[in-house]
Amino acid sequence: MGINNAHYYGWQGKLHSPWISTLSIVRVALLQVFRRKSYWVVIGLGVFQFLSFWIVIYAITQARLPANAQRDLYEVFGFSPSPEPGEENGYIAFMQQQSVVVMILLAFSGSLLVGSDFRMKSLPFYLSRRIDRRHYIVGKLLAVSAIVSLLTTVPALLLFLEYGMFTPSVGYWRENWGIAVSVLAYGAVLCAVLSILIVTLSAYLQRVAPIAITWSSLFVLLIRLASYLQDATDNNYWYLLDPWRDMRLVGKLCFGVFLEQEEHDIAAWAAVILAGVCAVCLVLLVRRVRAVDIVE
Amino acid sequence: MHLVDIQNLSRNYGHVRALVDVSFTLEQGTIGLVGNNGAGKSTLLKVLLGLLKPDAGGGTILGCDIRHATRELRGRVGYMPETAATVPVLKGVEFVTLAGDLYGMPHRDARRRAHEVLNYVGLGELRYRRLEEYSTGNVQRLKLAAALVHDPQLLLLDEPTNGLDPEGRQSMLDLIHDLITETGKSVILCTHLLPDVERLCQQIVVLHRGTVIRAGAMAALRHAVGNRFEIGWQGPGEGYVAALRAAGVEVSLNSHPDRATVQTPAGWNNSQFFALARERDCVLTQLKPDEEDLERLFFRVTEEKGPAPTSALPGEELKHGH
Repeated sequence: MGINNAHYYGWQGKLHSPWISTLSIVRVALLQVFRRKSYWVVIGLGVFQFLSFWIVIYAITQARLPANAQRDLYEVFGFSPSPEPGEENGYIAFMQQQSVVVMILLAFSGSLLVGSDFRMKSLPFYLSRRIDRRHYIVGKLLAVSAIVSLLTTVPALLLFLEYGMFTPSVGYWRENWGIAVSVLAYGAVLCAVLSILIVTLSAYLQRVAPIAITWSSLFVLLIRLASYLQDATDNNYWYLLDPWRDMRLVGKLCFGVFLEQEEHDIAAWAAVILAGVCAVCLVLLVRRVRAVDIVE
Repeated sequence: MHLVDIQNLSRNYGHVRALVDVSFTLEQGTIGLVGNNGAGKSTLLKVLLGLLKPDAGGGTILGCDIRHATRELRGRVGYMPETAATVPVLKGVEFVTLAGDLYGMPHRDARRRAHEVLNYVGLGELRYRRLEEYSTGNVQRLKLAAALVHDPQLLLLDEPTNGLDPEGRQSMLDLIHDLITETGKSVILCTHLLPDVERLCQQIVVLHRGTVIRAGAMAALRHAVGNRFEIGWQGPGEGYVAALRAAGVEVSLNSHPDRATVQTPAGWNNSQFFALARERDCVLTQLKPDEEDLERLFFRVTEEKGPAPTSALPGEELKHGH
């Protein structure tokens, strides 16, 4: 290929803070995920689930069914738009169902978002610019958090808005604002924990297969193990091995709704465990993210 | 202000000394950083860029302290890494825009500038293709575009012709040469391909086993070899060459029909070139001392320091650097 005759033009301008550059990492990460057609199978599952809830809410509120019939229909979907005291928050239940989709999506996209930077030695590309590894790590964590939020928190809030929209007044939103806060709190816990875990795991394992196997082991085997140990010893603290339960408990701790006293007892421990795991992962991540990787 | 001013710089990996008490000063222009594999070139480049912290010593580039002013430094320096270092799924223009964003350019400027530099490096037509579809040569151009996007004063190019076929290499060298002559930017070219340095660079830093054994203007470092000359003539050359050989001169003909490199015997007087030319009806048009080329210069200075090891970093598992 010959040299293009285009002339070189200079550029003069002010460079902004490297923290703003982390948003570019988020933008590019979302671009990477949404451009992969194979991921749309998983994203489609999440969208389908969201639309199902959306249609159910629409149908029930517009069909003006008797209250009992409405309640029965909601129960089929495990959803309660305005929970009574001691009742499970329907939006949180929706987010938990969406979390399965998120888990599958992250298992596959971790390699693309983070692992590829290590595998293709792209870290010098990032770290030789004006950002350092703090900005890189924060950018990648925000990117994963954005994906998690787009599949859990945002649709849950949309459902909350939808339900309020179909009621005759703004009374639903005013009376149940705590639901929106609890959705945000649980969403924040999901984002923080899942992003730190997947970014660290992907930084070390790099390729799709090992990440997917380890990730699914974390979130499937530990649930089974926790359940088995609890059955064998009748000790509820074994439930703390289940990361989903830990995240749910911490979410509940954020907005103070507990169905059972037992859950309340172990919620603080769940927070300690998650904080500990996240802290260890962050230390490992900081050690792993280096511009120069000398092996021999 | 010097372009680069490095004093007593050292960097170790565990107990392996990658850079040992390195000191040199370079002026604006094109600088070749040469050495055998494992001599410490890439380590030095990364220390200069602030990607690795030196264990001892320090210095400045463009007046910025390499220890403490790394962010300011990177705003004024463009780095083209040796590795592929691309981001999968992105298109060419998105990749270069990302580089601009990471430098801290406003996004709109970064995008506009990405189009400009991609045009400049000859990738204008390929800018909307995904990076997976780029050939090795195009990836090298793309990395150069990413290093140029914020219009740096200094470019650090780590093995820019690595992995390219002869045509691609020539094309890349043309591009870098064009960039240097058109923009007047300073370039530090890190490579073990001496012809690349010889073609592009005015200054040179020779690294050997982690130490700088020569640094400065290339012309000043070249030795004139006392009894070797380049000669040129007009007229019947066969007879003239035969006469020179008969007088004990070793003649190496080159591709040019009326030029040669000659090595004179002991006791030779240069007036004999003219006398023999007159005898054979030739006119001597050129007689100049033969300067050693970069390859000979490199081997001479490295041999003075002893044979090169197979690697400055012997077979040992090292952990990450800084």
